[in-house]
Formats: sequence, structure tokens, C-alpha cells
Amino acid sequence: MPNRPFFDNLGTILLLAIVNTLFNTICIGLTLWGFSHTSLYGGTHFGMLPCFVFAALISAVDPVAVLATFTEIHVNDMLYIVVFGESLLNDAVSVVLYRMFDSFAKIGQENLIASDIILGCLSFFVVSLGGVLIGIIFGVVACFTTKFTEHTPVLEPLIILVYAYLAYLTSEMVSVSGILAITFCGMVMKQYVSFNISKKSDATTEYVLKMLSSIMETIIFMFMGLSTVSDHHSWNTGFVLITLLSCLLFRVIGIAIFANLANCWRLLELTRIDMLIMSYGGLRGAIAFALALILDETKIPRKKEFVTATIAVVFFTVFVQGITIGPLVKCLNVRRKQIEEPTMSAKLTNRMMDHVMTCLEEISGSGGSNSLRDKCRNLDRNYFKRWLLRETPQEKMDIKLLQTFKKINMQSAMKVHDTSKGLVPAPSSSAIHTSVSGSNLRPESTFANFSQLLAANLPEQTVPDLMFFESQGAEQYRDDAQMHHFLDTNLYRARPRAAIHLRSQDETAGSGEANNRFEKSYHHRNHIYIPSRMDKEQTHGRKSGKTGSSGMTRSGASKTALATQAHDNTHSPRHSASSVPKQQHTKGKSVSPIPHKKKQEEQSQEQLGKTRSKSPTLSTDQPLKPPLPANEVHQPSPPISIRIDDEETDVAMGGATAAERICPWRRSSVPDASRSTSASPVNDPSNSVQASSSNVTDPHIHPGPLTSAGFSGSYNKSSEYMGEYATTTKPEEHLQRPHIRDLFANQSRIPDEKQENDTDTVSDDSTTHL
Amino acid sequence: MGSNASIMLQQEDLQNICQQTGFTVKQVQRLYSRFKALDKRDCGYLTREDLQCIPEVNINPLGERLIDVIMDDYGEHNKINFKQFIFLLAKFRQGKFKSLITEYNTRESKLRFLFDMYDRNHDLKIDRSELLDVLKMMVGGNIHDDQIATIADHTIGELDKDGDRSITFEEFCKTLERIDADEKMSMKFLS
Repeated sequence: MPNRPFFDNLGTILLLAIVNTLFNTICIGLTLWGFSHTSLYGGTHFGMLPCFVFAALISAVDPVAVLATFTEIHVNDMLYIVVFGESLLNDAVSVVLYRMFDSFAKIGQENLIASDIILGCLSFFVVSLGGVLIGIIFGVVACFTTKFTEHTPVLEPLIILVYAYLAYLTSEMVSVSGILAITFCGMVMKQYVSFNISKKSDATTEYVLKMLSSIMETIIFMFMGLSTVSDHHSWNTGFVLITLLSCLLFRVIGIAIFANLANCWRLLELTRIDMLIMSYGGLRGAIAFALALILDETKIPRKKEFVTATIAVVFFTVFVQGITIGPLVKCLNVRRKQIEEPTMSAKLTNRMMDHVMTCLEEISGSGGSNSLRDKCRNLDRNYFKRWLLRETPQEKMDIKLLQTFKKINMQSAMKVHDTSKGLVPAPSSSAIHTSVSGSNLRPESTFANFSQLLAANLPEQTVPDLMFFESQGAEQYRDDAQMHHFLDTNLYRARPRAAIHLRSQDETAGSGEANNRFEKSYHHRNHIYIPSRMDKEQTHGRKSGKTGSSGMTRSGASKTALATQAHDNTHSPRHSASSVPKQQHTKGKSVSPIPHKKKQEEQSQEQLGKTRSKSPTLSTDQPLKPPLPANEVHQPSPPISIRIDDEETDVAMGGATAAERICPWRRSSVPDASRSTSASPVNDPSNSVQASSSNVTDPHIHPGPLTSAGFSGSYNKSSEYMGEYATTTKPEEHLQRPHIRDLFANQSRIPDEKQENDTDTVSDDSTTHL
Repeated sequence: MGSNASIMLQQEDLQNICQQTGFTVKQVQRLYSRFKALDKRDCGYLTREDLQCIPEVNINPLGERLIDVIMDDYGEHNKINFKQFIFLLAKFRQGKFKSLITEYNTRESKLRFLFDMYDRNHDLKIDRSELLDVLKMMVGGNIHDDQIATIADHTIGELDKDGDRSITFEEFCKTLERIDADEKMSMKFLS
């Protein structure tokens, strides 16, 4: 049930549910009773109160029948929700009226006093509000319970079912409206529980409930059919006909009156066609039948006629009206439900319009549904979400927007996956190109990289081959999940990784670039690497003074980078490296490194590295932290780690010249400085010394990192890397993704790490080769 | 209040306004009293600060931007007088029936307003940075810029038909075909 249209149209729905039902009941009751004085009924006499009892049970629109019919015809949401909402909420009225007239009949017409009627009216409020209250209470308790079921996901569907049923039972026990209780319990649960429970529980609940509801609906109608043929009926033609006609007639009249009344305040008016569909869609169903069956024959002598008439009406409305409403909708060109792909732009614009209209309504002083909705939303966010949700959403975060985004990305990722799977035997970049560009997810340059990545690496690298090889086996599903996860994380990472390599290498190393990008992406699926990435990033930026590239993109991530830079800058005087601040602050084109300056730089870099080993944690912790307490399941986590990435892609894209700028830096053996900075201070001197040697050969080292076995030795060297690693990584990150790690096996991991160090800092390569 | 307002507003002005914007006299008077209520210093025009005093505007994520649009496009020199105010609001009248549509509250003008909310440099295109700005405002400060950038890119990718990496007004309107922008962007003015 769509929540938002429900609350938008709540006024109309309530009006129809309550007043219309009342109106129908009274009119039908009076008509039936009136006609009993004539000879149309063949002489049988119907008392007034029994007529009213019957009218009460027959005038209520049945939610089951409406649901079954309207979901087939796919009318627009507003129309659907008005009819469906009416059928749900009129339960209160019909229950009250039924009970009221039934007890009046029991008391006997002669004994009625005025206070009975007044109490009857009051009981309406008790019944409806009590039902709503009980439903909300149980909903809230369920939400609160699911807050703590993190470790017992198996209980979650059970909790939902049990609490909903409890709500119903409790309200029936105290004689309030059970349907209202369940409705509001469900509404409350939908808002909060779906965020709390695991995805599997969510899916389970959905399907179990769908199955149960199908079963129940079938049973109800089957029961009706059986009792039709087996019961003793008392067919009174006149009565049945009059009942039928008056039901139809008064429904049309009632809708006409009240819909026009509602149009006075409605923004979106109900047209005549809407009204026709609404009256035509007022189907009676099993509730009426059940109520008829439980009538007390001693008090209401005409029970058999009532039952027969009820069956007749139900059959007529369900069969005739239910079947013809579809063609009628088509014929009258009623606005149908839009089933569309969730597009970011649509969601975005929707949100924007909401905000704008709320604001404008406030300014112009005419409060509308927008401002009310906004107030509710604020209340919700400030109080309810804090108490009831497992992890509270961050301020102002627009969950729906991100969910849409996530969904779209998943779809695209799976598309790429599906095509890439077919590439295992014979990788063809063209296949990926077409599929990827077709999905039009991001700038073409990004995909170009990614497809190049896969294409270039599939035949060469052992790592990806392993993965696809595995998929041939029985672990299809696991591989799917892994691939999915890989794509999920790497769709983003692929771009930035490329940037880093482009910058840190010679552009002549063509295939090497692709390789490195690929490896980088594999590396950086772990958040851990990012801090160090940023470190080196910063170093690069500072060292080469690539104003162009750094100034180019650097929105969010760069700000953080700059912030840490600034942070470091403040520390630099402490380290009394006079050249350092100068170097740092000069964002101009990199000066060709002068040897003596280099040494100083290296030193300062080391020192800076010391400080920076702290600061990155501060700054990069920020991106890392949110994923962990991520409110929305996993949505923020992959993207957040990408933080830096986007910028760098752009840098890379436009940064062809940046590479030029970086190259001098690189060749001038400053890399060791950067290497040292990233490393913990301890080993810096040794590294820096070593690093100076093998700059030039760097680009050529990269193409074969994964395949060369010589890295095992150099792995020991990465202790400093591990040291840095230790300061900036979160152990949980490791644990979270064991499957992918296994995927790429330890042999790749080690060289990967080496690679990680290598690409940014030549020193590791140098150590390897030394 | 009503009688007060009508005294302040010249009679012919009132008629003019009603004719041009399609408001009824009562609606105009009500809006005038609202204007006076907002205009705390009673100088006949609203400034940015007056609008910012409204609490809901303050907490609305797009409040700032809306005030910018109002002040720049409809007022001048950071002031907006009543005439401009009411012409602004006239845009949001319902255009359900042909009779109610004037030149102000056409569907196009409503969409145009929305477009202007993005396009602050008035180059008739929404480019990536403008989209990013609006996204940041709406999504909040805790989402990383990287993610926001990706969302922006995605949105542009969806909408941009001619490949210039920016969204023109026509492309913008295309998105809104499915959404009933006209109804969503209308207000019911009480009279």
C-alpha cells in the first residue's frame, strides 16, 4: 500500500469511509424497511431493526475484494488508494453500526431509549480510536524489538507476524476494530522495521505474507462458494432485487455527494470518471457474508433471507462488477498507474519540488499538505527514528535518494557482470564496451577504463582468471555475490585508481597503466588502503606541486586532503624544515628538484609523514566511520570509500599533462620521500636511501608485479607499510570481506600490497630489485 | 485585517493585479496581510532577512536557495515589494482549468521556476556544478562529496541528450513529463 498517497488523501478517505458508509447504511435500511410495507417482498415482514442490521453489514465495502480487483486493473495510485483506504477504514464504522443495531435488536425495539443511541455513537469513537491506538502500540513495540535482533535474524519475520496478529487479537478481544489495528500496525512497521531487519528477513516476510494472504483469500471465497451450495436458502426475489438495486444506487449517490464535498478542499480534484470508478469499485465481500452468518436467528427472524441476499449481492458485485471494471477502466481512459524505472532525476526533482513547495507555502502563509508532511517528517526524524531504528540516519540524509541510486548502480553492475562472465574464455573488450556504454551509467571515459581494465587484464593476470575459473565450478552463487560485490565496489574505484597511476607513472607504460589500475582497484576494495592512498596522494600533490591537477577536481576529498595538508602544514614548523612549508605552499608548477633540496624534502617529508600518520586517520577516519555505523544497510560503505576516487578520475582524465608534471618529480627520486612519508618513520631513512636509485625503471616494474615471484622477499620490507597500515586501518574492514580476499588468494595479496607501495613509491620496487 | 489591507492597496492596483494574475480580490488581500506580517520594519518591501526569519524556511534544506531565487529573479537589490511578491506567487496558482490559467501560472512557468532554482548563473543550462550544489543542499553534509558527485553524474547522464554534459530546459522538462509537475507545484491559496 503506498503510504504517501494514503496520507495525502487522508481527508477524502476518512470522509468517504465514515460518512459515506453511514449514509449508505441509513438509506439502504430505510429503503428496505420501506419496501417491506409494500407487497414486493411477497408478504414477508421485515422489522425495522433487522433491516438496519442487514443494511449495516451490506453497505460496507470489502477490502479483500477491492484489493483483489484493483491490483489487476492498475489504476493510478490516487484512485486506488481512495477506494482501498475507504474499504479499510470503514471497518470501524460498519463494526460499530452492526453491533449497535444487533444489540438494539436484542433489546427489542420497544425498549430502546435515547441514551442507547448516544452511547452507540460514542462507541464509534472508542472503537475506531481504540483500534488505531492498539495497532500503533503494537507496531511501535515490534519496531523496538527489532532494534535488538541484530544477532538473531531468524526471529525477525516471526516477530512481525506475531505482533501483527497480536494486534488483531487484542483489539477483537476488547471489541474494538481489528482491521484498523492491523492496518495501522502495518503502517508503523513499514516505516521503521524495514530498516532494522536484515534483507533476508525482509524478503522472507514479504513472500510469506503474500502467500498467506493468497491462501486466506482463496479460503474465504471457497467457503462462500461451498456454503452457497450447501446451505438452505430462502430466496426472496423482491428482497434480493431491492437490496441489490439500493446498494448500487446509494453508492453512486453517496460518492457523488461526498466526492464533490471533498473536492472543495482537495488540490487534485476527483473527476466524474474517478467518481464512477469509485462507485463501481465498491465491491462487497466476505466480511458481509461472515457477519450475516453470525446473526442470531432468534432475534432476527429473517436470517435466511439475509444470508441469501448477502450471497447474491456479493456474487453480483464480485463477478459482474469485478470482471467488467477492467474493460471499463480501459474504455474510459482512466489514468493508469505508472510503472517506471526509478530514475535519479525523477526522484531528485520530486524531492526538490517538495522542499520548494513547503517553503513557498510557508512564505505565502497558506499551509498545505506539504508543510504538514514536512512537520511530520521532522518529528519523525528527530524522535521516532532515533528511538526505533537500529542505527539512526544521519542528519538530513535523504535515504530514498540514496536507495534509488544504489538500486540503479546494482542494476548496472549486474549488467556488466552478466556480460563479463561470458568473456572468460575469450575476453573481448568490445563486448564490455558496448554493454557498459549502453547502460550509460557514467561518463564514457570511466567505462573506457573499466572495460580496458577487464579486457586488458583478463588474459594476462592470474588473479582475475582465478575468479572466473572458480565460477565454472559449483560456486556459481558465491561467485555471483563476489563479482557483484567486486563490481559494486570497483565501479567507483576503477576511476580514481586509474588517476593515481596515471599520475605516478610514465605515460609510456601503456599496458602497465591498465594493469596497475586494475590491481589498484583490487587493492582498494579495502578501505584500508585509502588513507595511505591519500597520504601518497597528498605527497604527490605537494611534491610535484601539481596545481593543475590538484586544483582541478578536488572537491570533497581534496578538501579533506587539503585539510590534512593544512594540518600538516601547521605541524611543519615544528619540524623545522624550512623548505617544507615553502614546498607545501607552492602550488605552482613543480620546480625541478634540486638535489640538496631533495634531501631536505625527504627529511621533511619523513617528518611530515610522522605527523601525517596521525592526521590521515583523523581525516580519513571520517569517511571510514560512517560505513560502519551505516544506517542504511550497506549503501554508504562502498561509495564512501570511493570518496577520493571520483576526483582523481577527473584528474586523470584531464591530467595527461599532470603526469608530465609529476614525471620530473618522479624521476628526481623524490618518490622515496613519498614512500617514506607513507611509511612509518622508523624505516624512512633506509628507504629513502634505497629509493633514490631506481626511479627510472619504475614504470617497467609495474607490468609484472603479479607474476614475478620475487616479491616475496620484498614483502618483508613492507613492515613499514604494515606499520602505517596498522595505524590507519580498521580490523573490521578486513573481516568484512573475507570472501574477496580469499578470491584473490594470498599470492596476489602480497604482491598487491607490494604493488600498492610500489606504484606510489618507487622504493619498494627498488628494494625488490636490490 | 482585510479592510486595513485594502486601504493600503490602491483600488486600481488591486484590479490590475487580479486581472493579471487571476487571483481573486480576497486572495490578494490575504496575501497582502501576509506580506505586511512578514515585513517587520514596515518599509513596504521584504528583504532577505525578513524571509529568513520564517522558521520553516530556515530549516528547509533549499530555503537559502529559494530566497536567493526570490531576491535575485523577482526582487531587486535584495528587496522585493508586494507587486513582485504577488507575481511570484501567481506562478503557483492552480492551472487546472483553462479559465484559471493566465500567463503567469502556466505549466511552463512553474517548471521554469524549478529550473531557475538550479541555474543560478542564468546560462539556461544546468551544469554539473550547479547540480552538485543543489544535491549537497538536499542530501546533507554527511554524504561524501564523491558519492554526491556520482549521483550528479548519473543524473546528468540520464537527462543529457545532446551530450554537452549539461541539462537544458527542454531536457529538464522531459524528466517531468511523467511526474505531474503542474499539480505538485501548485498551491491552494486561501481566500
